[in-house]
Amino acid sequence: MGRPLYQRSPMPGLGLSAGITLTMLSIVVLLPVGALLAKGVSFGPGNLWDVVNRERVWSALFLSFRLSFFAAIFNLVFGTLLAWVLVRYRFAGRRLLDAAVDLPFALPTAVAGIALTALYAPNGVLGGLAQQIGWKIAYTQTGILIALVFVGLPFVARTVQPVVEEIEREVEEASATLGASRLTTLRRVILPMLAPAALTGFALALARAVGEYGSVIFIAGNIPLKTEIAPLLIVIQLEEFNYDAAAAIGIAMLTISFAMLLAINLIQIWSRRRIGYV
Amino acid sequence: MSDASAFSFRAPTDESPLVRRALIGVAVLGLGLLVGAPLVAVFAEALKQGWLAALKSLGNRDALSAIWLTLTIAAISVPLNAVFGIAAAWLITRFDFRGKAFLITLIDLPFSVSPVVAGLCIVLMFGANSLLGGWLVAQGFPIVFALPGIVLATVFITFPFIARELIPVMIEQGRAEEEAALTLGAGGWHLFRTVTLPNIRWALLYGVLLCNARAMGEFGAVAVVSGKIRGQTATMPITIEMLYNEYLSVAAFSLAAVLTLLALVTLLAKTVLERRHADQIAATHRH
Repeated sequence: MGRPLYQRSPMPGLGLSAGITLTMLSIVVLLPVGALLAKGVSFGPGNLWDVVNRERVWSALFLSFRLSFFAAIFNLVFGTLLAWVLVRYRFAGRRLLDAAVDLPFALPTAVAGIALTALYAPNGVLGGLAQQIGWKIAYTQTGILIALVFVGLPFVARTVQPVVEEIEREVEEASATLGASRLTTLRRVILPMLAPAALTGFALALARAVGEYGSVIFIAGNIPLKTEIAPLLIVIQLEEFNYDAAAAIGIAMLTISFAMLLAINLIQIWSRRRIGYV
Repeated sequence: MSDASAFSFRAPTDESPLVRRALIGVAVLGLGLLVGAPLVAVFAEALKQGWLAALKSLGNRDALSAIWLTLTIAAISVPLNAVFGIAAAWLITRFDFRGKAFLITLIDLPFSVSPVVAGLCIVLMFGANSLLGGWLVAQGFPIVFALPGIVLATVFITFPFIARELIPVMIEQGRAEEEAALTLGAGGWHLFRTVTLPNIRWALLYGVLLCNARAMGEFGAVAVVSGKIRGQTATMPITIEMLYNEYLSVAAFSLAAVLTLLALVTLLAKTVLERRHADQIAATHRH
């Protein structure tokens, strides 16, 4: 605690850069988020709870969280596989594949939403195929899951990729020399090295999916209690000018987001202590 | 590295060709289904009734006004974020003060807030029934359901993009060059233009690219604050939603195709930047 609040520096622009940073941070982020929290306080914790504690809200929050979790699990496995394939193997089209991983970051969510719906709706190409075996994808929870997998796809792949690049071949060779099979090396040597980065990517994908709106609402069908996600409930309340209820659900979602942000930081601290980098 | 394939002998640190092929197959198939198929679907749906119908729907007055609005919003929000990103990165990497980690957390905050919640926050702060919003409306300067609100929402969503690109690069470069310029008598602006800016320009461009793609495509936050007034506050993504809900599929997908082309150009530029200037772009993106 002996550290001074600010260490003098000859560098110019302290006032200007601090002024711009704090002013914009306040106007754009802090004041609006503060307004949401203030609304919650003035509405009162009892009323907040009454809004959230309804079947429709619970089921939407639970649906958002559960499907986001499954989507992030899928991305954890598939993203790690992608990172491995893109770094370790050389094959025709690898660079195209590498660039394609970023598409969900670059493609607007509304575009992704209508494109996925066109594909997986009963009259779409893939939806039609699925229907022949009696499987409905669009307007069900499966459809929401696909949209959430899409938006979270790059996170794990992109956090794991640099770590795969840094693995030293010597470590694997040592393991092989000591008689370990490739599978054992993978399980006991490689995967533990990838785990912290993969978990960080998992948490990022999860956080993104819980709040996702644009790519989901088109394919979801939005049936209350069945395929209605939490962000949609806020939009519905706002359309009815029911600001208190919208704020209550918003605060519930913000709480979930912060809990996940905390989890991401804890994972990073834990992995840094364990391995030294992420 | 894995040059073993040139010989008929397999290194103990390589997977068997069968496993290798299977893994590549899963990666290609998975990405093809998840990313490739939707990409094709956008263009296929847009061109379902031919080029003419697609182009004609883009010439529609609402579509043109949506394109114009989206360009306007990006033209305002991206420079705002660039100024913020440079200022924040300068503050964080060139000075030592307590609470720096907390400041970084606050800058990152928008990443973990749902776009819809972000929109909600802006409505509650600047909406007509808030204290500030009511006063602003009375002055004839409404924010929510108007351009300023959409810009605010867009800046909120893209807030960390440019700062996040610049901070690691500026940490890595250190202060030595700038301190040398200072001792040689350079003034603040001169120092920034001639020493700092050349060092960070590629990272800045990289951040601007990502920020711009997100700014033009933002949907959730804008849906909440815009009021979706056709011809006035309906951006491209919002117009896509309205057209789609009116079963005007060709028109919706034509507009979507324009945004998809933008996303593809962004990816291309990003890939080129990563390849040519890898050493001057944030470490996490090196591959």
